[in-house]
Amino acid sequence: MNFFGTIFSYIRETYVDRLSYFPSNIKISLMIILFCAIAIVELYIYIIFRRVIKANQNKQTKYWKERIGNMLASVVVYDESENTAEIAVHFYDKLKKLPLKNSTVNQILTSEIITYHKNFTGKIPEVLALLYAKLKLDKRSKKKIDSKHWETKIEGIREANEMGISEMAEEIIKYTDDENGLLRMEAQAAYLKLSNKDPFHFLDRAQERILDWHQLVLFEIITKNKKLTIPSFSKWLRSPNDTVVMFCLKLIDHFMQFDAAEEVQRLLKHHNTRIVKKSIEIIGKLELEELEKHMFEIYFDHTDEIKLEILNSLGKISSGKYADFLSSRIHSNDSKIKRAALYAIKRDADHGEARLLEIYHHTSPENQALITHVLDNRIKQ
Amino acid sequence: MREFLATFETIFNNAIFYYAIFVMGSYLILTLLSAIEMSGYIRKNSYVNYREILVSPLAPSVSILAPAYNEEATIIENIRSLLSLHYGHYEVIIINDGSKDGTFQQMFDYYKLEKVDFVVNYQIKCNEIRGVYKSKLPSFSKLTVVDKVNGGKSDALNAGINVAAKELIMCIDVDCIVLEDAILKLAKPYLEEKYKVIATGGVVRIANSCKVEDGKLVEINMPKNLWPRFQVLEYIRAFLMGRMAWSRLNGLLIISGAMGLFDKETVIKVGGYDHSTVGEDMELVIRMRRYMYEQDRRFKVVYIPDPLCWTEAPQDLQILGRQRNRWTRGTIESLWMHKDLFFNPRYGVLGMLSYPYWLFFEWMAPIIEFLGITVFILLAFMGNINWEFSFILIAMVYFFSITLSTIAILFEEMSYQQYTKGTDLVKLLLSAFLEPIMYHPLTVYWSIKGNLDKFTGKNNWGAMTRKGFKSTEAATETKQTT
Amino acid sequence: MSKILIAEDEVLMLKALEFKLKKDGYQVDVAADGRQAMEKVKNETYDLILTDIMMPFVGGMEILSYVKNDPIKKHTPVLLISAVGLENIVLEGFSLGADDFIYKPFNLNELSVRIKRYVKQNAF
Repeated sequence: MNFFGTIFSYIRETYVDRLSYFPSNIKISLMIILFCAIAIVELYIYIIFRRVIKANQNKQTKYWKERIGNMLASVVVYDESENTAEIAVHFYDKLKKLPLKNSTVNQILTSEIITYHKNFTGKIPEVLALLYAKLKLDKRSKKKIDSKHWETKIEGIREANEMGISEMAEEIIKYTDDENGLLRMEAQAAYLKLSNKDPFHFLDRAQERILDWHQLVLFEIITKNKKLTIPSFSKWLRSPNDTVVMFCLKLIDHFMQFDAAEEVQRLLKHHNTRIVKKSIEIIGKLELEELEKHMFEIYFDHTDEIKLEILNSLGKISSGKYADFLSSRIHSNDSKIKRAALYAIKRDADHGEARLLEIYHHTSPENQALITHVLDNRIKQ
Repeated sequence: MREFLATFETIFNNAIFYYAIFVMGSYLILTLLSAIEMSGYIRKNSYVNYREILVSPLAPSVSILAPAYNEEATIIENIRSLLSLHYGHYEVIIINDGSKDGTFQQMFDYYKLEKVDFVVNYQIKCNEIRGVYKSKLPSFSKLTVVDKVNGGKSDALNAGINVAAKELIMCIDVDCIVLEDAILKLAKPYLEEKYKVIATGGVVRIANSCKVEDGKLVEINMPKNLWPRFQVLEYIRAFLMGRMAWSRLNGLLIISGAMGLFDKETVIKVGGYDHSTVGEDMELVIRMRRYMYEQDRRFKVVYIPDPLCWTEAPQDLQILGRQRNRWTRGTIESLWMHKDLFFNPRYGVLGMLSYPYWLFFEWMAPIIEFLGITVFILLAFMGNINWEFSFILIAMVYFFSITLSTIAILFEEMSYQQYTKGTDLVKLLLSAFLEPIMYHPLTVYWSIKGNLDKFTGKNNWGAMTRKGFKSTEAATETKQTT
Repeated sequence: MSKILIAEDEVLMLKALEFKLKKDGYQVDVAADGRQAMEKVKNETYDLILTDIMMPFVGGMEILSYVKNDPIKKHTPVLLISAVGLENIVLEGFSLGADDFIYKPFNLNELSVRIKRYVKQNAF
């Protein structure tokens, strides 16, 4: 006790009586020590409080999750009636008794209904949609969309999207070109699913970039959603927004839209090399033989990256018109070009291997090894 | 003479004071920046559904490169866990770097390998590749094994790059525990940044005392041994505070050798890993950045704070010392090789901020500290010391470092909270008090030793590569921030 | 009474499946992650295993390959639940001996009928 007493009196003396006599750097040091000591204590208190509060919240959440989960699971397996409206009414009375004013409860109920809605087909999602509306959870989703905070907006849009509330499509379209990328994408994704009359309308008005990541997400939705009527994407290939052009090219590629050929040919001269590259890829994938010559025309104007893509596409088309050109690439100094050309020759199902073997007999041992490599089907290109 | 010593002492005290203020100020700025970056990252990614990237044909393809040197005990299990990552479009390339044990035979037998007629396009220089092997079994079609002449870790990775067929390459240490979502999370920035992403790096966490089953992390525990526990604190500080802030500034210099995802084209253009340094992971990032500046292209190096990679930290002081010694030498070598970057405005953030920071803080701070202590002892011997003032100065630094560690722990609490047990939290908080007096002096000592070894030419890298890249020390690369 | 194991990491889905199969009159055992599931598969005998593909620690594929490589258990029907229709996952699943694939979203009644059929087949 005596020891601590001495320390305390020393600290008090230092900070109270002697402080003004110290040189300024020591004074500042003493202030920093004091500040740090207070900060440490406060941080400790904060960290511990956080843990305690979180533990309590978790306990509550767990309890409600269990309880609401049980109720909803009995909705899901209920088979005493085939009439969805009847089932909804039956369970509405029970769910109504939950303290829905409590935001934790409300949020858990919303997300659990969404989970079941998303994972099942048949009458279950119908019943759940009815319940969602009856419990006025849709109103809450709408309110979230009107919120000032983008995070809350996203939550609302997601809920509307998952529950398929088409009436909100008009509300959501205005966010499809929002400055905030996350909100924008969420809105585009939802609009695609919710709009009955023109789900692709957002592409007409897109001025903001559609990031690759967003393209990927939207692509998944478009290609997996069987109810969607797929338009001809060539009509957006003149968009001033490069990302829209790129996105549409990916979709043209996937849906094999041959009617886009003319527009794709125009894009071979586009200033954006990514678009040029994708156009070339499409020409190969769709085997647009009539565009082969346009593609060949630009071969020597471009970098290796584009050249490789052109070689790939020539291989995929395998019209035979450029067989000599491909064979002559064996003299290239760049081994990547060589390799791509050899693979392109191999793609010709009728003559490819024979042609490779022919080259094999008239070329250097290095090139021979390369040809063996290309002919080995265990190696993936 | 007396008078002179007294004046010198005042100057010395002042110098220490201003240096400390400068260092502490920088750390505070970094802390603030990382807080902004962290909350941004977490806010943004709480809305992300990673399953989409998993199945999409538009997701970038990834080649995982894992060099293996004398790993026969664990190689099969390690490969199995790499093959079960959650990602659609990837391949796993194991590079057997001339192991002297049964590493290759183990793989050959278990995975039913056979040699394929692979012609390696030596786009980057590396030692001779003896053969490329694929599995006969269709369920292991993702696996490729490269057998090459020993050349060290950098050389093995370069060989892997020459064989890799995908757009991105993920370089990892084969003995790390990689979480299933690792590729997904590291690949995402490549799809969403406005500028070209050349590399993404991940956090390294310490797996000592954690429960691991079949190569998978099952339960997270605080290390029982004190030395790894200090490293937990050190890593949290370095990764959650240091690197996050540098990522915000787009000035991140180091991507851990334990796990990083790189744009293959850029890596090939700069010539791959450098064999001549033991700090190859840091050196590569510097060289890639340089290249992008020289090409006048906007780019980003992104850092992902999610705990995706876990590794066993050394708990033997001798091994730990060797690891730190190597890091110090790696830092010196990387800095020396790129000395023209120093305050060179042509290289933007890299030249004006990252490089000088690394030079003054990562390399010189331990040296200055060491000199300070030496002078202090000399002065004390000559009886010219104001014990009270010195004590107050030391107390300031001590309190500040505890504050910093506590803030780091708070970050961890608010973000990932990996240590869920209350006792683990208490242990972590307590080690913040012990670390500055028990662990920090050792790191200074190792760093000084690294400097000495480097400048006296001991342990030079020529001999180093011959031995192979990994003795018993964990090959994880991190940099301390305090 | 036939005994079924359900392995699924999404608590809600696990609960719904458990409720449904209990209602259908099976004895149901549940596992909330791959590790638990693996332990149960190793220690007990089931008449049918219904497992999600993507679970933490141990995936459905690993459970499948364990069951199908066990001389005694290999006749146990294994149904895989998957949210993603990746072609190579499906191919891998069938090559490892999966009896059927269930894609989310699915119809619960249809699943129940399928399970009934597999359990019956296996009884002979």
